[in-house]
Amino acid sequence: MEQKFQRDLNELSRIVAFSDAFFASEAVDPTLRNIVELCVEELFVNLVTYNRETSEEILITLESNGKDEGEGEGIRVSLTDYNVDRFDPRSAPSPNVEAPLEERTPGGLGLYLVMKMADAIQYEYLDRTSKITFVKNGNSQHV
Amino acid sequence: MFEIAHSGDGRILIAGRLDAARAPRAQEFLDQLTGPCMLDLGGLEYISSAGLGVLLKTHKRLMGAGDGLRLINVNSHINDIFTYSGFDRLFDIQAATATE
Repeated sequence: MEQKFQRDLNELSRIVAFSDAFFASEAVDPTLRNIVELCVEELFVNLVTYNRETSEEILITLESNGKDEGEGEGIRVSLTDYNVDRFDPRSAPSPNVEAPLEERTPGGLGLYLVMKMADAIQYEYLDRTSKITFVKNGNSQHV
Repeated sequence: MFEIAHSGDGRILIAGRLDAARAPRAQEFLDQLTGPCMLDLGGLEYISSAGLGVLLKTHKRLMGAGDGLRLINVNSHINDIFTYSGFDRLFDIQAATATE
């Protein structure tokens, strides 16, 4: 299941509807929904915020990811951005979440949360096309 | 859906989805608050890093005056996000099961 979205934060409601439709139609573990929506939002917002050199729509793909015996169905999610520079989100610096309040500043948590919650993250870059894929396994530890 | 409002008994009620599209509205509301504030998150279904940033910015501003935010009625999903983000070290957080 795939759909393109404009580079606009107001598209988040359409992305949620897209995700809801996927979970309603597939046998994916429903307890993954909040985690998947969070990871998709954080990655989408990052692309919209930092890849300003393009106006092309962002493609989001949701797929069932199979399962091992005793596990719920997992999900594989990709966000593809066209005509952009390379940026591997795995290379983003992690915020110090143990820092005291006076040293904490808003921002920097988004990609960190994706790295913490996804079970696997892959990055591909070819011909100015950037593709981020994450996997969330079914029945793993949920947040 | 996202709602933020005064409860009438001193709490601020936040409900729905606090995502990057709704964060500016939440920030605008919370920027008006003064003194110690209690945010009732019982109706909050979802929060992203943009929402976390709103809470952090407001908390720091209020703490600067010796007050701060207290977060109550926090469901387990939101609480886990707070823990991942280190907010359990920064805020007074009361889980949903421990209130009422």
